[in-house]
Amino acid sequence: MLGMAVLLLAGCYSNNCPLENMVTCNYGFYDSEGTAISYRDTITVTTLMPGYKTVYTYRKLGNITVTKDYRDTALVNQGYTESMTQQRKDTILLNNLIGASSMKVPMSWFHEEDTLILSYRTIVKKDTIKIQHISYPNVELPECGTYRFHTLQGITATDAAIDHIEIGEPKVNYEGNVNVKIYFNGVVTE
Amino acid sequence: MGYDSQLSTNIYNFDNYKKVKLAKLRHIICVVWMMGACILATRAQQQTQPLMPGETPKPTKYVAVEEQKEHLVFFQGFTLSVDGYGPVAMMVSDYGTLEGALRLNLKNTFFPIIEAGIGKCSKEDFNTKVSYKTNAPFIRVGIDFNMLKDKFQSNRLYLGARYGLSKFKYDMTGPALTDPIWGGSQSFSLKDIDCTSHWAELVFGVEVRILRNFHMGWAVRYKMEISSTKHDAAKPNCIPGYGYTTNSNCWGGTYSLIFDLNWGMKKSHKRGVNVEIRDMQPTEHELTPVQDDSQTSIDHEEGTEDGATEVEE
Repeated sequence: MLGMAVLLLAGCYSNNCPLENMVTCNYGFYDSEGTAISYRDTITVTTLMPGYKTVYTYRKLGNITVTKDYRDTALVNQGYTESMTQQRKDTILLNNLIGASSMKVPMSWFHEEDTLILSYRTIVKKDTIKIQHISYPNVELPECGTYRFHTLQGITATDAAIDHIEIGEPKVNYEGNVNVKIYFNGVVTE
Repeated sequence: MGYDSQLSTNIYNFDNYKKVKLAKLRHIICVVWMMGACILATRAQQQTQPLMPGETPKPTKYVAVEEQKEHLVFFQGFTLSVDGYGPVAMMVSDYGTLEGALRLNLKNTFFPIIEAGIGKCSKEDFNTKVSYKTNAPFIRVGIDFNMLKDKFQSNRLYLGARYGLSKFKYDMTGPALTDPIWGGSQSFSLKDIDCTSHWAELVFGVEVRILRNFHMGWAVRYKMEISSTKHDAAKPNCIPGYGYTTNSNCWGGTYSLIFDLNWGMKKSHKRGVNVEIRDMQPTEHELTPVQDDSQTSIDHEEGTEDGATEVEE
């Protein structure tokens, strides 16, 4: 009877682990007056990584300049001039986001500042967003594993396509609130 | 005198005789009635006479069973119990308790209770390798209500409520955390996180007498977490005395070994019943001079008599 009671009680056990396996910072898109919009341009978000990388640039008169992350001896044999430069490592977080009204971008776990570079298809210039934050581990349940939550402390942005930027909800967790509000240039008129 | 005149004289005499006899009968009836009335009046006068100080009316022998039930002794003693389920759970699962309880028995109906113990939880998830440890005391206070109609029997079916409190520290450790995008790694170990938890319980259980002063019983508990101290990094996965916090409520159970204690009980009350025997329908006038002595309290220490129902030993 006691054993059955143990089994019955164990049978009722269930967990409520979050469905997403990574905590992301939610960005909402608005026009300069604060109206929520879907941004029509294509956005690619790149972030700077720790460390540097060597970039090889190949130039030849009358040809397009070629940039590669590795050395290409074939281009050298074709008469291209090779030059090397040291650049910050980067990686693409979101690629070709079209007509979005928001985006979810992961945050670094052990750095105090993240740098995001927003590239647009119709705008040559790029925007750089710098976010200061603190990160800490969070365990909802042991069976759910360990996650990292973040608290936003400050944010700045350049003005290529962005009018201004502000923090909405500083706590970045599973709640799904808009953590950062990006106000793009222009006003929706309808 | 002729025959006719003699006859009429006899008839006259006979009528006269009848009248005398009826008069005597009436007289006798009247005397008996008067004597009866006098006796009744005298007795009534004796009965309505106020009692002298020190005098007590003679008790009758009849005491209604229902009346006895109304006179269950209020304080029926203490019971001490230990839980047999918690240690078994501690051996076969990640969480268990060592707990005991001290309970008052009031009229075999209400049972105020204090439960205290130590809760231990030590678990490591097989997949994530995150472990949780705590080992801390807890306390619960509450009351049980015996739902059986017959309060004299030793078996009980009860419904109760508890308020639980535990102030504890817990550790949570896991494998090192590695950032999948930016890189870098950091160990994950949180030690001695302070937490205070409050919860409520609804209890339903049964209890039966096994031996003279030994009972056994089980109870099912529905537990609701009221509040717990929040920590940014990790909420308590298991609260001593409450159980797992996977949901805001959970089920639990106890299997109690219960020992009756007679602390604080009068020797005469150990039978559990205090029977009062008194005059049948004493008038207010009778009770006036010696009101305190008009009822004689007799505690039945030996067996049942005079219609008393069987009571527990």
